[in-house]
Amino acid sequence: MFRCVLTAAGLVLFAGSTFVHAQKQTIGAPPEASNMKLVGTNDLQARSAYQPTIHHQGDRWIAYIGHHGGTDDVPAPVNPMTGKEEPNGTSVVDVTDPAHPKYLRHLPGQEGKYESGGAQMVRVCDGKSLPKGDPNAVYMLRTFGSEAHEIWNVADPADPVLVARIGGLKDTHKSWWECDTGIAFLVSGAPDWRTRRMTQIYDFSDPAHPQKIRDFGLPGQEPGATGAVPTELHGPISTGPNGNRVFFGYGTNKGGILQIVDRDKLLNGPKEPTPDNLRYPEISRMPMSAFNGAHTTFPMLDMPVAEFAEDKDGKTRDIVMIVDEAILNECGEARQMVWFADVTTETRPMMISSYTVPEASGQFCQRGGRFGSHSSNESMAPVYYKKMAFIAFFNAGVRALDIRDPYHPREVGYFIPSITSATDKRCIPIEGGARCKVAIQTNNVETDDRGYIYIVDRANTGLHILELTGPARAAAGLPRN
Amino acid sequence: MRRGATIAAVAVALGVSGVWAYQRVPSRMEEVARWREIAWPFPRDGWPAGRAFRCDGACEGAELYVRAKRGFCNCDRGVADDDEVDRVADVDLINPRFAAGAPGEEVSFNEMRGRARRYDLDMSDGVRHAAIGVAVSRRCDLFVAAAQGRGEASAMQRAALAFLQTQEMKGWVLAALDGQ
Repeated sequence: MFRCVLTAAGLVLFAGSTFVHAQKQTIGAPPEASNMKLVGTNDLQARSAYQPTIHHQGDRWIAYIGHHGGTDDVPAPVNPMTGKEEPNGTSVVDVTDPAHPKYLRHLPGQEGKYESGGAQMVRVCDGKSLPKGDPNAVYMLRTFGSEAHEIWNVADPADPVLVARIGGLKDTHKSWWECDTGIAFLVSGAPDWRTRRMTQIYDFSDPAHPQKIRDFGLPGQEPGATGAVPTELHGPISTGPNGNRVFFGYGTNKGGILQIVDRDKLLNGPKEPTPDNLRYPEISRMPMSAFNGAHTTFPMLDMPVAEFAEDKDGKTRDIVMIVDEAILNECGEARQMVWFADVTTETRPMMISSYTVPEASGQFCQRGGRFGSHSSNESMAPVYYKKMAFIAFFNAGVRALDIRDPYHPREVGYFIPSITSATDKRCIPIEGGARCKVAIQTNNVETDDRGYIYIVDRANTGLHILELTGPARAAAGLPRN
Repeated sequence: MRRGATIAAVAVALGVSGVWAYQRVPSRMEEVARWREIAWPFPRDGWPAGRAFRCDGACEGAELYVRAKRGFCNCDRGVADDDEVDRVADVDLINPRFAAGAPGEEVSFNEMRGRARRYDLDMSDGVRHAAIGVAVSRRCDLFVAAAQGRGEASAMQRAALAFLQTQEMKGWVLAALDGQ
């Protein structure tokens, strides 16, 4: 009897240890993948990464990658190209040959750790596309830590030159820049506004001479208001003068709002930040559950939906993909995921579908770090636009979704990079201390016009360049590789 | 220049100690206030429900609402200004049309620092209530408290802060911030 008990106990212990092992990423283990393949990598000098922007520059493809500030352990990693400790800023990587990315330059950012330092955001426009830009220049708009926005000329990506700076701010974040008009929707915290983040609209058609157009936010956020303060901005995406809409996403992991705004009224309407003037350009506002925020609001207008092809009306739909951002490690909050809203009738937007990674498919709540969505690709290049979306899902890597029927989005591929010795730990408080685990934290994703997918890691694991394979590739309409 | 710096340093020191003394001087209300736990009175929102208390003592009828808000983004700066208190302290749960009467002040609690602010509330029954909002941070997490009542706001604030300093509440706050 005693022997039976011992055997049973042993089996239980073995099963338990196997279970734990299955959830834990280990250095040297292969990546986990389905219908996505690794093409090339770069360690990005072990800097925590936020936004990648891939720009076709002459006959080269250059990746500009924004970074968060450093960590408690390594506030300013050493740049091996200079031998100096440099606060995290912007990595410039030549990805013309995606199998062999070449690190060109690290442009330091603001001193400070985590969200307080670095240079998280980056957008790039050619001078020749901007109405009054230098046609020989290529302009990079980036945040400088939390305190400023900067424009650099990166015509020589290895030797950027500062062009302009807008400072005196706080909590700068996920801006948008129209390359054909130069209008920039900057996410900032203006000192007198009641919210951490709102919109400052600038005319950067001549990047050397920025012209302020107006401040914008939700009524109640403006200076001098009283009462409850609406959810803070995360980021806008504009469809430019032709689409004449700006889709604003408010919130991170709580109280999200999708706001649809008439761009022309926004730019040319009354600018004094009064409640009436702030309401004037708004077409509609869709509050989300208090459980979810809106990190990315990605418009896909006039999408043909095969299921509705025979219907007399509504064959095409205007869709906005909304991506929440997970914040807490090890599932310490409500699930942050992906939502699809049908905004065809603009004044009555409606959520129509959602997507999340099944937690049990990888025991992701046990792996360490954040599990849940963070962001999507924002490229509108034809290769994937309105067909395939890529979602950064922290410890579940990147997820490829077939969105041709946005009422029924379907995962068709994924890639979870291997951890390396550079991958940083993620901790949760436990009684009397902390418990830490090491896991991949895929933070942002972007695609280029060739169809390569670029994912970057918040936990310092670097850049991974991927391509679709198999059925996912076929779903995107790409030739076999 | 040096004299000016000295005066400024003394003023800052006096100010800080003044705030501390102001918080620690026991009032009659603090001595006799008794807080009885009641059900959390607000509908579900993005944060898990906290704990609510009603004062049966000298602050008769005042109510106090406390909860942890984990995953607050301002990890380094913490609760740095009054706008942050307006945004996070749950006064809007009591009444979204609140107005602050004056600038807030620094407070500390359980080795966490933040700010407190007083508000006027026009309640639906036409009665004017005083309210306070308190927000303190521990790295990326917040602990917030809001209180309302017909009494005087500063006395209510002292009574509420004294209650939060009890061993039971200190232990609960730390556990709540740990997600337990």
